[in-house]
Amino acid sequence: MRRMVIAAISLVGLFVAMYLWLYKLGVLGQLSCSIGSCETVNTSKWATLMGQPVAFWGVCFYVAMLTVAVLGTLERFEGDRRIALALTVMTGGGVLFSGWLTYLELAVIHAICQWCVVSAVLVLVMFALSVAELTARSPER
Amino acid sequence: MSLVASTSPRASQKRFVFVLAAIAVVGVGVLGYVATRPKGGGEAIDPNLPVGTAQGFLMGSPDAPVKIVEFADFECPGCGQFATVTEPDVRERLIKTGLVSLQFFVFPLPMHQNTWAASNAAYCSNEQGKFWEMHDRLFYTQDLWNTQATSSPDKKMMGYAKDIGLDEGKFEECYASKKHYPNIKASGAEAERVGIQQTPTLIIGGKKYVDQLSYDLIKRLVDEEIAKAGKSDTSKKGAK
Repeated sequence: MRRMVIAAISLVGLFVAMYLWLYKLGVLGQLSCSIGSCETVNTSKWATLMGQPVAFWGVCFYVAMLTVAVLGTLERFEGDRRIALALTVMTGGGVLFSGWLTYLELAVIHAICQWCVVSAVLVLVMFALSVAELTARSPER
Repeated sequence: MSLVASTSPRASQKRFVFVLAAIAVVGVGVLGYVATRPKGGGEAIDPNLPVGTAQGFLMGSPDAPVKIVEFADFECPGCGQFATVTEPDVRERLIKTGLVSLQFFVFPLPMHQNTWAASNAAYCSNEQGKFWEMHDRLFYTQDLWNTQATSSPDKKMMGYAKDIGLDEGKFEECYASKKHYPNIKASGAEAERVGIQQTPTLIIGGKKYVDQLSYDLIKRLVDEEIAKAGKSDTSKKGAK
């Protein structure tokens, strides 16, 4: 069940990241941003990493999460602890990266992007679920 | 959990697929809608537009010891902040004192729907020697003509032309002809050529600065450039 929830959250996150990525590509025009200043954040130098928009890396992350989580729901991987471990490692990295981005928004850019916050919360929830999943699948049990 | 435990794995899997499909349908629908909805002032720029001449608009003496090059988008909030908060000090203390010249290049970003209209207005104002007046007008009123504010910025641009004392007939003729679009495109191409990735970007002493530089930091960089060139310190010229 937890893996299913993680998969569903990954899909939601994928659309959030795609929204920001399409904005960077110039497909969407202005961002819908009722709280904070999404444009200031997304046009800052911190919105690019290794030559690609951060949102692009977000899309890659959520696609990977979705793939692993969906695989984990298949019968043959149901009891596979490696799936839980992979999810925990991936979301752990995601939490650290989201934390870094949130720090940049608050302390460096001095603007907050609501969609980035949504993504950070989704990653945090997935991390909590992944840890719970890993704990439940621990060999001692 | 108990709900899942009480249902068969197959039923649970079915429900899972249904939930994923529902999220996918909603997500694709929302993205499709926002991508295809009429965008405010969404001006389609011809991809085959010829490339004209990249023109940097100069403020200050061409012989100033330090040259600052700025790449900016008229609709970018960070550029507006720089133009309205920091640049007045730069003009008063560094440009007017002859220490610095500022060369401004337009870099229209694809996510800004009204930036070409604003750039067009600035280029047409330049024909009547009032580029900087329009530059200031655009940045100070950015929230009144940007994509969120209006879908037809043309009227606003005409109003600004009147406000800054342009010959409205000549301005309108120039503006409507879009004859400077190739030059605006060239300016953007120049920004890409020198590796500008966001706006505003300042180039001081050959180095790019993409953070919002404060006046004090710009002053320090200018002093360093002057010192490097073995020229007198800015303080001797009265800059504070």
